[in-house]
Amino acid sequence: MHEKNIYKPIPFKLDKVETESPLIKTFFLTPEEDFHFKTGQFVEVTIDGIGEAPYTPSSSATVTDKMEITIMKAGYVTTKMHELKGGEILGIRGPYGKGYPLEKFHDKEVIILGGGVGIAPLRCLILTMMSEIERYQKINVCLGARTPADFIYKDWYPELGSNPKINLLRAVDKADETWQETEGVVTLLLGKLQTDFSSTVAVVCGPPIMMKFGTLKLLELGVKEENIYLSMEKNMSCGLGKCGHCALGDYFVCKDGPVFTYDEIKDYPDIWI
Amino acid sequence: MYKFKIVYLPEFLEYLQEKYTLWAPAKSGTETEFKVISSFAEIDQSRLNTTLNPKEIFFPRREVLFSYDENGIKTPPPPEKPVAVWGLRTCDTRSIRMLDEVFSNAHQMPEKEMFKDPYWINKYADSLLISQACRQPLSTCFCNWFNSGPFDETGSDIFVIKGEVNYYLKGISDKGQEVLAGFAKAEQTDEKDAAEIKDLQAAAESYMSPALDISDLKSKLDKIWDDPLWEEIGAKCINCGACAYICPTCHCFDVSDEGKAGKGKRVRLWDACMFQLFTKEASGHNPRSNSLNRVRQRVMHKYNYFVDNYQKFLCTGCGRCVSVCPVNMDIREIIKKILAHEI
Repeated sequence: MHEKNIYKPIPFKLDKVETESPLIKTFFLTPEEDFHFKTGQFVEVTIDGIGEAPYTPSSSATVTDKMEITIMKAGYVTTKMHELKGGEILGIRGPYGKGYPLEKFHDKEVIILGGGVGIAPLRCLILTMMSEIERYQKINVCLGARTPADFIYKDWYPELGSNPKINLLRAVDKADETWQETEGVVTLLLGKLQTDFSSTVAVVCGPPIMMKFGTLKLLELGVKEENIYLSMEKNMSCGLGKCGHCALGDYFVCKDGPVFTYDEIKDYPDIWI
Repeated sequence: MYKFKIVYLPEFLEYLQEKYTLWAPAKSGTETEFKVISSFAEIDQSRLNTTLNPKEIFFPRREVLFSYDENGIKTPPPPEKPVAVWGLRTCDTRSIRMLDEVFSNAHQMPEKEMFKDPYWINKYADSLLISQACRQPLSTCFCNWFNSGPFDETGSDIFVIKGEVNYYLKGISDKGQEVLAGFAKAEQTDEKDAAEIKDLQAAAESYMSPALDISDLKSKLDKIWDDPLWEEIGAKCINCGACAYICPTCHCFDVSDEGKAGKGKRVRLWDACMFQLFTKEASGHNPRSNSLNRVRQRVMHKYNYFVDNYQKFLCTGCGRCVSVCPVNMDIREIIKKILAHEI
């Protein structure tokens, strides 16, 4: 080979699997070769005989000897993933994409808006930011799920909410008798924030409909277009900007994103579909 | 410029085979495609354009990226000899050069990180592209829309013109010149030959319909994303994907597995933006779920987005999509409609 083989995965040992919600599990992995990623980048996970699929890690990017990925059971690869018990070897290649430019978040207040399994990559972002929490003014974490049972990382929130620099707000579309927090769409939480929106940075990750209304609400509150960071994940295949699956106008989401500022893509047609 | 008698072609090809693996147009059932050739007799140049396109040579429709079993991952060995291609048309040569920009990142994008594809590079490196002038372009040919023409030498290592008794051969790259200089039967051309070439070129160009001025195409496309015109353009498309498969510049693919856990192959297969599953996400969400969106994407990629990234159209005017479309969609008519459309 003249060049490094960009398609060859490296082996990761699957240490254990934890169930987060009826359809979502977290996979705890140990890389068997040197592996680093930046928060917001994604990887291609291989299941022999089935194929590859793109995921964003949910553990901190500052931890390099372990990696966690949270996966919703949805397609071929994820269904196979959900059958794994631990002890297996998986292949992973990457990381791909640009990730979040954390240096641009320094000394600012940050809003993190997420929903459903979109909370997984945001957990990676939050944990990575928490390793240098002194660099940020405050982090407003606004998370949503369909029901209380659908929230992933249930054990994490008490610890997260107790951090003095983190303001954690949660909403569910449909509450049950135990739910003490907001009932309604996740964007309602944005209205509860007391902040100077014009200097705030916001990060949004979740289903397309949430991304759309979340962004519109942030704009309405006065967050600047160039300060809204959107995770525009698509059906990425090669991760290299060549195979065409994730084309968004002249961008390839895999290599030019997957994180874009609203400013970068607002003139692209139909970004929310 | 060199020449040799037409009867010496087998000898020239044998000479090429000393150093190269030779590809040339050959029969494939009732159609023609580029194949590895062991002898001159296998070559079929009865058609101007091969039915199937030449991207196959460097970017096969199915390519094993690696195989895996209990002993680990094995990548296929790089080819022993570099590739020489005889019988390319000038449109095809230009299409290969375009794909090289995508796969080798030959054209360095200043702001955008681009990866180099080792599978393409292994086959493409040191290759020799020999293109042949089209003496009688087809009714589907429209290379002249793209500042090209039947005698365009652009991108060739060697450019060949078939005369009445001679092949005329021009070394365009250093590599091409070196190859021609080393062939014992090659002689220098004279004034009489130059006159014949001039006449052939004039005759060939007279077969072409006048070129359409497409300099406004990109800027027009920038403005019509939401236009109802797409309904008119895309209405009859059945999304069969034949245009994309037969296109020498379309290069979308999918990475997939053949085999089972523990033993199998990771393969790369041609894919097409015409298919509904192409963009479908695991959640069921599909950004291009309807046919019109997909037709628009293909047109936009070729004549708008690729121009943004590479400053050229992703089309050489070979006309294959025009001949193959089962519902008679004609990309030339689509372009004309777009250019004529009042915004």
